[in-house]
Amino acid sequence: MKVSFFETVRYLPPEPLPSEWPVPSGTYDREAGAAAFRGVMERLEYVEQLGFDWVSVSEHHYSPRILTPSPIVAAAYIAARLPRIKIALLGPIVPHSNPVRVAEELAMLDNLAQGRLIVGLLRGTANEALTYDLNPAEARQRTDEGMELILKAWTEPHPFGWQGRHFRYRTVSIWPRPLQQPHPPTYALGTSRESCEFAARHHLGCGVSYGPFEVMARATRYYREQCARHGWQPTPEQIVYRANMLVADTDEEAHALLRRQPDQAPFVMRAGVREAMLTLDSRNIAGQTRSPIVTGALPTTFVGSPDTVVEQVKRCRDVVGAGVLDLSLHPPGAGDLEPLMRALELFGGKVLPRIRDL
Amino acid sequence: MRETGVREGHVEAGGVRCRYQDAGEGPALVHLTAPRGSSLTPAHRLLAQRFRVIALETPGVPPSPEVAATLAGALQSLGLERFNLMATAREAVTALWLALHAPERVLAMVLEAPAAMPGVSREANLERRLPALATPTLVLVGTRDDVAGPSPGRVYKALMPGAHLVFVYDAGPAVGADRPEAFAEVAIDFLERHEAFVISRAATVIHP
Repeated sequence: MKVSFFETVRYLPPEPLPSEWPVPSGTYDREAGAAAFRGVMERLEYVEQLGFDWVSVSEHHYSPRILTPSPIVAAAYIAARLPRIKIALLGPIVPHSNPVRVAEELAMLDNLAQGRLIVGLLRGTANEALTYDLNPAEARQRTDEGMELILKAWTEPHPFGWQGRHFRYRTVSIWPRPLQQPHPPTYALGTSRESCEFAARHHLGCGVSYGPFEVMARATRYYREQCARHGWQPTPEQIVYRANMLVADTDEEAHALLRRQPDQAPFVMRAGVREAMLTLDSRNIAGQTRSPIVTGALPTTFVGSPDTVVEQVKRCRDVVGAGVLDLSLHPPGAGDLEPLMRALELFGGKVLPRIRDL
Repeated sequence: MRETGVREGHVEAGGVRCRYQDAGEGPALVHLTAPRGSSLTPAHRLLAQRFRVIALETPGVPPSPEVAATLAGALQSLGLERFNLMATAREAVTALWLALHAPERVLAMVLEAPAAMPGVSREANLERRLPALATPTLVLVGTRDDVAGPSPGRVYKALMPGAHLVFVYDAGPAVGADRPEAFAEVAIDFLERHEAFVISRAATVIHP
């Protein structure tokens, strides 16, 4: 089992934040922000030292919870500062990006990081459609086409044109090419039938997140079936499961931490937007419809003492089939950073060595 | 000057004969304008493709709750029970008073380059009441507006739960006159979808 640390830049607001999404950027506190960014490298140096395999960053906009709207910038900075750990960019939001630009930046980053880049490509959460004026009804199609164009830009030896549905280029011929060949390890992230099928067709990995093991297993099972249909079998490392984890010295302590977690999503869209989104955005888990809007807090699927968590990881490995855990230890928004550092210490010392060989 | 498809008339508001021009079909959109005797603008004509636009010249006195109440009565006498409301510059304050006076009648508002609320007590009253005004409101401010500038728009955005602030690039205080298509597109989208107008409907398919 490989483990990845999901770095979100822990911003601790001096005042309670408005609960509406998008959060007014005028409420950003520069001092708190600077402190949050200073804390990143201190934490990640420790993460590397503990033996984590990857550090991951993601793309989210207009939110104090994750201060990496440009994950490329974060990844480049981290790659320059840490010598060994792999940098997982999970990932650029494809449908509202220029796919050729994404291909170029990732290729450049793979070179800068000397071949330590891992890539996850995704459509993005429903609210992200609002950030760059993306038509949610087109998001799926733009994601599929954009991902395919990125792969093509990385691998095609001659200048080519792209006559797409949503993208059109007369000439593409990127420099540099990725260092890793044919391209960095790449995952299509998401539980949808379309995403699993895309991954299977292009021999990519699959990434699922946050949901209960059994539900996520529906997606990974579908992905493996599709891979088989395309005549290949993914390795465990080609399935990533991102989840929240609360690990503490004892089960009681961990559950006490869990009880202190909010049960509602921290920032919600206005009702009229949410309702309209429900009719315009469609999501599924291996073909089974799910709501595009999450109003509750993201579940925490690993909770307990190191012993308990080890057992939960074993179950996850068996049920979901994931060979990589991308962990949000002590989920963001929990306030105080002290328990996070303690969780890292516990995880690194008492969990990681025991799940390594799963 | 009269033009085809435009009906013109007068209505009394607080003892003043107010001129109005009426064009287009569809849900009512009342535009409160300063008395100026001019004809409908290109922006009005674009709006009139989707709405029945009633451009009403206000009595030309400073905005007040009383003026707003008389205008509400005048609109009633024109048979306008429920309507969308648009207002420019100083008339934005009148529109806000009108929405506070008869919130159930105002479906949504578009405030074009709203003028500053001067610090007189009456406007302080207005500011105090805005947090309770739920009317979906679009505030349009030109990026070259050097008359009122963006400050009043920011105040409305901060105070009103249903307010959205949109900057119209390269427009001065006469946003609709400077960039009629840009003005009409966002105004229509907002009046039709209210806060859900933040969700893009733009199609980007080049070839099916």
